[in-house]
Amino acid sequence: MNNHLSRDQITEWVSGTHEEGVRLHLESCEDCRSEAEGLQKTLSGFRDSIHAMAQQDDRYWRRQQITIGERLAAGRWSPSGYWIWATALLGVLVAVLLLMRTPKIPRYGTTEAADEILLQQVQGDVSREFPEALAPAVLIAEERNEILTRKTNQPSKSNSKEGVQ
Amino acid sequence: MGQNEEGAVVSTVQEKASLGMAELDDFNLLVRQHQRRIYRVLLGMVHDPDAAETLTQECFFRAYRNRASFRGESSAGIWLFKIAVNLARDHRRSRLRVFWQRLFSSADDASEAGERLPDSHASPEKMLLLQEDMTRVWSAIKALSPRQRAVFIFRFVEEMTLEEIAEATSLKVGTVKAHLFRAVNAVRQRLKEGAHNE
Repeated sequence: MNNHLSRDQITEWVSGTHEEGVRLHLESCEDCRSEAEGLQKTLSGFRDSIHAMAQQDDRYWRRQQITIGERLAAGRWSPSGYWIWATALLGVLVAVLLLMRTPKIPRYGTTEAADEILLQQVQGDVSREFPEALAPAVLIAEERNEILTRKTNQPSKSNSKEGVQ
Repeated sequence: MGQNEEGAVVSTVQEKASLGMAELDDFNLLVRQHQRRIYRVLLGMVHDPDAAETLTQECFFRAYRNRASFRGESSAGIWLFKIAVNLARDHRRSRLRVFWQRLFSSADDASEAGERLPDSHASPEKMLLLQEDMTRVWSAIKALSPRQRAVFIFRFVEEMTLEEIAEATSLKVGTVKAHLFRAVNAVRQRLKEGAHNE
């Protein structure tokens, strides 16, 4: 150790983490003691200032106790909260039960119906004399044949009339 | 250490442990016994009376909610300090709080500490010097990490032993010493800078 304590040693003494030699030096060295005690005094002043800041009258602490108590009571038992959760749970249960009870339509039923319709369409198409798409052409052809037939019949009628005269 | 103005007289860890379980049986008694110390520590940590009041209430609320996890290994007071330290750390992390803190300069906060000095018969000059020192100490503490700040407050405001601080901060005693050393050095540095600037 030199003539005086180092800065770190004084910090350790103030913090209460010093070694025995530091304490012995402070007992004999006026300069080091003055520096260490000056710092300690400042820190004591800081402690006192916080204690002064935190000083409140009894009403303040009672009010705080009541506020904490009310909050604890609210957290411990909240009837409205319980009712909301109970109602929601009940609703979910009812929905699940309803879903379970609803008769399910077998998937193959719909497939069969569709197949039946398709089969009827195919049978209808097969039973036609000509495809449905050619219906207009067939109609035109029939009309044309009818006109031709009419034309071929008309001269024979006129010839027969002339023959009578 | 071991006695405070709230009447919670405790001496050994075993005594505290047995007291702790009993205290939990009557939570209102726990609040009455510890609310002042918790408020004071939080005030030192956050340096805002309104926030300290809110956090004190939150501390007891969390303690009540998690009372099943309290095993009586330490005193109820130390257990509450642990909760308070976590709350102060979370409060500091809050981005919203940082935003408002930056928006409104913290210079007023620092001077407030000086204004709330205990009544003293010291001369006006000495009071002024003391006030300036307090402003510098607050300024240094604000720059500390949450853990260093907690260790500093526990040591110099609550005058707790290193072992008690280690329990309250969930650190080893050696780590507490290191944090304390850095915190005190930071305060000394700020005081020194202030003295040089004058």
